[in-house]
Amino acid sequence: MSGSEILSTLLGSEVRGDLLVLFHRNPGLIDTVDGIARRIGRTTVAVISEVRELLELGVLRQKRIGNSEVVFLDRAKDRELLDSVANHLKTLRIGDQR
Amino acid sequence: MASQVRDPSWTNPPNNFESGSKSLSPDQRFAAENAFTSVLVNTVREVVGDALGRNVLEILTSKGLLDDANNSKEFDRKLQSLFGNGAAVLERIVVKDLDRKLGIRYNSEAGFDYGKSLETAKEVCLVGSRLK
Repeated sequence: MSGSEILSTLLGSEVRGDLLVLFHRNPGLIDTVDGIARRIGRTTVAVISEVRELLELGVLRQKRIGNSEVVFLDRAKDRELLDSVANHLKTLRIGDQR
Repeated sequence: MASQVRDPSWTNPPNNFESGSKSLSPDQRFAAENAFTSVLVNTVREVVGDALGRNVLEILTSKGLLDDANNSKEFDRKLQSLFGNGAAVLERIVVKDLDRKLGIRYNSEAGFDYGKSLETAKEVCLVGSRLK
């Protein structure tokens, strides 16, 4: 996946942007999808498909703790993806039409 | 496990900023506008850095993203050139954070206009400085 495609996926919706900010500001956060939705002031329904996109991209990972499925940031994968985005942005000239 | 972080129902500011900010002296207005620019630039830095990482923030800063950040049209043009549709996502998060800092209600359901949102936030800053 190219840096441009990663960027489009990361900023694919406002909810996804909110999720990125939440996990980057709280990199040790581990919570259920319900809990994550509450943290960003959204409903679970609005958040679930956005979380799935970030799980597929690999930024987030999921595991079971007791009876709960929880989601957390994969810091290594996150760094790798953001490095690709940074390398892509280095090649662009700001202000040019895409 | 979960805990509540954000209450989306911030209260709306009154709509009489224009008259309030006009009573400022030129010096007061200059100081208030500088204060607003500082809050805005810090918020943009935080949002871009927290959404896409410090490396991306530094690259965009070196390319001049934050030069003249107070000019919403210019900032929007630069963001569009880099992020396409993703620009609107970053702008909404910037406005949401800015509104939270200034105590302005953010309505995620309403139509979004980055320039108008910044004008409202700036007027709140100017009125706030008049009351000090």
